[in-house]
Amino acid sequence: MVRISRYILVLTAIIGSAVALPNLYWTIMEKPVNSPYVMYSIIDKGYMIQRSTPAIVRQDTKGNSYTREEYEKKLPMMFYMQLASSGTMPDSINGVEMDMHALRKARSTYRYQPKVRDSPQPGLYPLFESESGRVNLEMPNDFFRIQDWMVFIDAKSNSVDEAKSNLFTAVLTKRGFEFPARIIAGLPTTRKSCDEGYLVSDAKEQLFHLKMVKGKPYVKKVALPDNLSFKWIECVDFSNKLYYAYLISAANEVYVLFQDTYELLKLPVTGFNPDVDELKIYGDFFNYNVIIDGESYLKNITLDNKFNKVDEYAEKWETKYQRTEGKIFGAIFPFELSLKSDNSRYIDFRIKYSENFYWILLSLLFVGAEIYWIKRMKNGIMDHLADLLIIAVTGIFGFIAVNIFQNKFFK
Amino acid sequence: MSNVIECNNLTHYYGKKMVYENLNIHVREGSILGLLGKNGAGKTTTINILNGFLQPRSGECLIYNENTQHLTPKTKARIGFLIEGHVQYAFMNIHQIEKFYAGFYPNWKREPYWELMKKLKVLPTQKISSMSCGQRSQVALGLILAQDPDLLILDDFSMGLDPGYRRLFIDYLREYAKAANKTIFTTSHIIQDMERLIDDVLIMDYNRVLAQKPVKEFMTTFKQFNFELLNADLELKKEKFIVNLEKVKNQIELYTYDSEEVVLNYLASNGIGYTNFRKVEMTLEDAFIGLTGKY
Amino acid sequence: MWKSILYKEWLKLRWIILISTALGIMAVGSLFLNVQHDFLFMGAMTYWYNTLFLGVQYFHLLKYVPLVIGIAIGVAQYFPETVNKRIKLSFHLPINENKILLLMMLCGTTTLLVSFGSMFLLFWGLSAHFFPQEIVYGAIVSVTPWFLSGFVIYFFISLIVMEPVWKYWILYGLIGYAFIGLYLEPSTTGGYEPVVLKFALLTVLLSLSSLFSAYRFRKGEM
Repeated sequence: MVRISRYILVLTAIIGSAVALPNLYWTIMEKPVNSPYVMYSIIDKGYMIQRSTPAIVRQDTKGNSYTREEYEKKLPMMFYMQLASSGTMPDSINGVEMDMHALRKARSTYRYQPKVRDSPQPGLYPLFESESGRVNLEMPNDFFRIQDWMVFIDAKSNSVDEAKSNLFTAVLTKRGFEFPARIIAGLPTTRKSCDEGYLVSDAKEQLFHLKMVKGKPYVKKVALPDNLSFKWIECVDFSNKLYYAYLISAANEVYVLFQDTYELLKLPVTGFNPDVDELKIYGDFFNYNVIIDGESYLKNITLDNKFNKVDEYAEKWETKYQRTEGKIFGAIFPFELSLKSDNSRYIDFRIKYSENFYWILLSLLFVGAEIYWIKRMKNGIMDHLADLLIIAVTGIFGFIAVNIFQNKFFK
Repeated sequence: MSNVIECNNLTHYYGKKMVYENLNIHVREGSILGLLGKNGAGKTTTINILNGFLQPRSGECLIYNENTQHLTPKTKARIGFLIEGHVQYAFMNIHQIEKFYAGFYPNWKREPYWELMKKLKVLPTQKISSMSCGQRSQVALGLILAQDPDLLILDDFSMGLDPGYRRLFIDYLREYAKAANKTIFTTSHIIQDMERLIDDVLIMDYNRVLAQKPVKEFMTTFKQFNFELLNADLELKKEKFIVNLEKVKNQIELYTYDSEEVVLNYLASNGIGYTNFRKVEMTLEDAFIGLTGKY
Repeated sequence: MWKSILYKEWLKLRWIILISTALGIMAVGSLFLNVQHDFLFMGAMTYWYNTLFLGVQYFHLLKYVPLVIGIAIGVAQYFPETVNKRIKLSFHLPINENKILLLMMLCGTTTLLVSFGSMFLLFWGLSAHFFPQEIVYGAIVSVTPWFLSGFVIYFFISLIVMEPVWKYWILYGLIGYAFIGLYLEPSTTGGYEPVVLKFALLTVLLSLSSLFSAYRFRKGEM
């Protein structure tokens, strides 16, 4: 019983130190790894790269350096406000006259983060009246959930609005909706230009557009090609009102869903892993810069404003584990344990094994030290076999653990 | 008569500092053994080993033929234990503590406990922590009497007791032990009054046992002779028969297990001039100091 | 015999049970007084919205309450056992030493269960009164590790208080600090979902910790 109690404490110490020590190491040793900022220049028909470590450098892909002003001129779609104020905005680009209003309207920014997807979802959403006749959107008095049926819950009384729930459920059912909903995507805020309701993926992975028009349900089933299903949908509210949402398919393809026509278009984006990569889509008058931003790589896939691929730029760099401080880390620690992840908002035990095997040397050294100590204390090796095994496998963590919770028992 | 306590070849160190080596202790059933020694001589170490709170470097102690590190509950029920300083659950009052202990011992005897408590003049709700040292000693003693164990292990029971309480404690204990054939193992660094209690004595000094025998035998064989040297500057050689020798100017105190004759022969054969040679009657305390030295 | 042990633990714990449970219930009550106040001033809809979409945690004040109660009960129960090494008295009772320790641990754990249980039920009930199941679920998932941390610190206190060598108090304390920190890692509401059961399992395992240091005490480590 006491031995069991000791091994539990040893486990506790291993867990505690496997979180705390690597954390301490990185706090002291970690150096910033800044990914470059890469944008397509409509002037050069090539990429402009800005790096911020150690000092800010602005270059093109041929290695020419630029001043800040020169750099901004190469990216007029991005810095049009700055260029306009300093009077250096060209009158026309590619033979197209530059209209500030049109430029502004064409601008869009979207950012996908893995942790936003891998996080607890609200489950309850406000359904706005999309044609209220008012200028501003108003927060309704209830939230809906779509489980066995579509339920509206009045916040003030914390109770179900049966009539409204039945009405919406009936229409959903009639349109072929299979309860419950898998994904409910929308913009649950009053701070948007207008309301387009929600895109809902049902239990059979069918896609529906759901909104409320003058108190009545509007449900439209979106025609999907065979075997296309989505793992993530994010609605957007861009000035050009071109499309409702970006959608990520089960096969990690990126789609847009056009407004009104409900046409789905697959963007020519490859190599995107939504579990670990960020995705940024910057739209402007001429192009879309689709940027896949991973831990150790970046890819800019540039599309024209009809979503055809124009050019591509890719770059790789070392992760922190591949750099000197990471190699030292791997030689000291056989693994690290953390509860948090950059790619998730869930707390869980996440184990990351060392990328090299030098830690085995250190483990053996610790095993040797322990054997020396056991001999000095005139104890039997056999009584400490499990401890030695623990040290061999968990290295420094095990060594600390078995020596804090000492293996001393009556003979 | 069988041995209740049997410690064989007990050896213990604190780090590199030796406490003792190959110590053997035997306590006969029905006897009262006093383990006497100065502070730091190893009394508490021995008590801790006996109670299973210390693993000796080597050797073992048996109580009722069970290793003291793994006493069964049944054997533990036969042992009454008084911790140094009469430590008890001081957050209880005398009613609560009696109720608590009564649950553990099927042969619990309330009467001797309450008999002692009646003499105490404490409030029924008074916590033990607010009692005087003497009163606490009576509570601890009362609990042991109520437990009615076969073996009593008392660690320095005299500590902090004024003479009246000490005398009371000892007399009560001796009468109780002898009437019911109890075995007692006790330590003390206050020797006064111990003669009234113990049958056998075990005197320890740093790293060694100086004497282990019945008190009566010890008191008759261990002797003190005083005399005055004619030449105050003379340094006496410490012969084998001399256990201890204290010299202040020309005053000599000589302690030995040998007879008066041996001492006189020694003085004569070495041509040592002396006057006023006399045998001194000792108390146990005198003998203890004589044996262990004043320092 | 177990009745006597229960009696002793009761004498040590009776006031602290009352005080800590009362404080715990007051803490929960005050949370919902705030909720009620804010419902009145900003409206239920806005409050729900802030909770669902802006990450407002109406229960965040509860975070360290179980920890404090765990410390209080651990100290109240184990500290009186170690003053003057009184634990020797317990080990001298005619019961197996580990059995006594486990009984003591069960008494403390039951106390915590009563105290935390009443807080938890009240929290659940009042949450369900004010909020829909989605918010209630997220809140329960979020506060569960905090309640578990109260048990963990209680077990660590039993470990540390019984340890005979003071240098190890610091080492055990460091391990406890690192380990309990895991239970209190800041997170979005409901973010603990994958780990709650694992935490619960580790907490149950840690209930045996006092056996280890008490054994060291019995063996005379110094």
